Amino acid sequence: MRLLKRFLRDIGSKYKPVDVVNINNKRFSSTLDPPIDIPELVYTGTYLGQNKQRFEPSSILLQTLSDEPSTHKVYVDRDTAWLFVVGKDIFDENIMDRTAGVRLGGYCLVMFGEECIGYGRYETSRDLRVVKNLYDVGDFLRRE
Amino acid sequence: MSGREWFIERYRAMGSTLAGDETTPKAIRINSFRTTDEKLVETLTEQGVELEKIPYLDHGYKVQYSPFSLGASIEYLLGQYSLQETASQYPVQALLPTPEDRLLDMASAPGGKTTQAAAYMQNKGIIVAVDINRERLFATENNVERCRVINTSIHHVDALELPDEEGFTKVLLDAPCSGNYVTDKQWFKRRIMEDIERNAELQKRLITKALNLLVSGGVLLYSTCSLEPEENEQNVQWLLENHDVELVELKGPGAPAVTDTDSIDLDKKISYCRRFWPDVTGTQGFFVAKVVKR
Repeated sequence: MRLLKRFLRDIGSKYKPVDVVNINNKRFSSTLDPPIDIPELVYTGTYLGQNKQRFEPSSILLQTLSDEPSTHKVYVDRDTAWLFVVGKDIFDENIMDRTAGVRLGGYCLVMFGEECIGYGRYETSRDLRVVKNLYDVGDFLRRE
Repeated sequence: MSGREWFIERYRAMGSTLAGDETTPKAIRINSFRTTDEKLVETLTEQGVELEKIPYLDHGYKVQYSPFSLGASIEYLLGQYSLQETASQYPVQALLPTPEDRLLDMASAPGGKTTQAAAYMQNKGIIVAVDINRERLFATENNVERCRVINTSIHHVDALELPDEEGFTKVLLDAPCSGNYVTDKQWFKRRIMEDIERNAELQKRLITKALNLLVSGGVLLYSTCSLEPEENEQNVQWLLENHDVELVELKGPGAPAVTDTDSIDLDKKISYCRRFWPDVTGTQGFFVAKVVKR
């Protein structure tokens, strides 16, 4: 929970997951109650993400967080969104809009319209300001 | 008893006019709790995709043309639609799960029908999705996350090992089967009657397990992507003879199941089930039956 809480704080969220279940280092928020006892649970309810060196949030959690006014967000157009979901960083000049909380060194959600396509860290790289890609929904393709 | 000509002759004896070289077009299913059909069709059309509504499916579209891979678009990655063959979209639609249901998906991998059921249930109620194959279950997990499904528990377990307790209001048994030649180009070379008979026996055991897990009045939807009567009509005949159930008449796409040929003489009510002949439906082979447990 420590890594998850740190991530939520860093992205500006007030979200408090309830009934957190740990399955193979993956975190879920679930009140689901199967009508019979079934062994070998591998996934349940709302997948939050998993602990690695840092907390790696799921796309479901990111979308939930994007509904909160307080979370840090940058907005991009389709062309930039596409580059982001194939793993690229976002140059500052390609950010169409941003919320007040976005600051250098901090995390931010990457939004394409109302949809969250991932998140990154707003930082300076080779004298350029970028959102460094830390996770994007293209991950679904890379897993397969 | 194998080979292309033998199987085609067998299908023709059941009344079909199959040629044995039928194909099925690419199709998508729009995820109705992530977007609307109108919105997504407009978005994809703007990107040059040509879609045609499949008239008998609630959210199914045939892909006429796409300038890019539909399995790699932003909208796909956001779970707004899934790639799902036309006939395989019908079982969940026929089962019609609701937000009040406790649904068991007995052979869930790779999760296309699981996410479709979640859409009908508006992400409410509960889906218990099980599968014996751990590798394929990873695909179910990915699909569930991609489509933002939150009402599902996934278990790596053989459905046959589930305890015999009546707990579910609906069961989806899209059974492991022999498949068909439309989606498997090597099918005629690979399949022999022994495979089909072995699969039919496994399916009977799964049907019995499904009924043991259903509450009285609960609904079982049984489907296969096989064209073989042993896995379809003959299994339903066995089901009617061995379990206290009522067969529900399906009025959907496809043809009434076969009950009367030179080699098959079955309960006439079995025509309530639907059989998808690929040359008629333009889909892969499929079979769907729906029963209510008394």
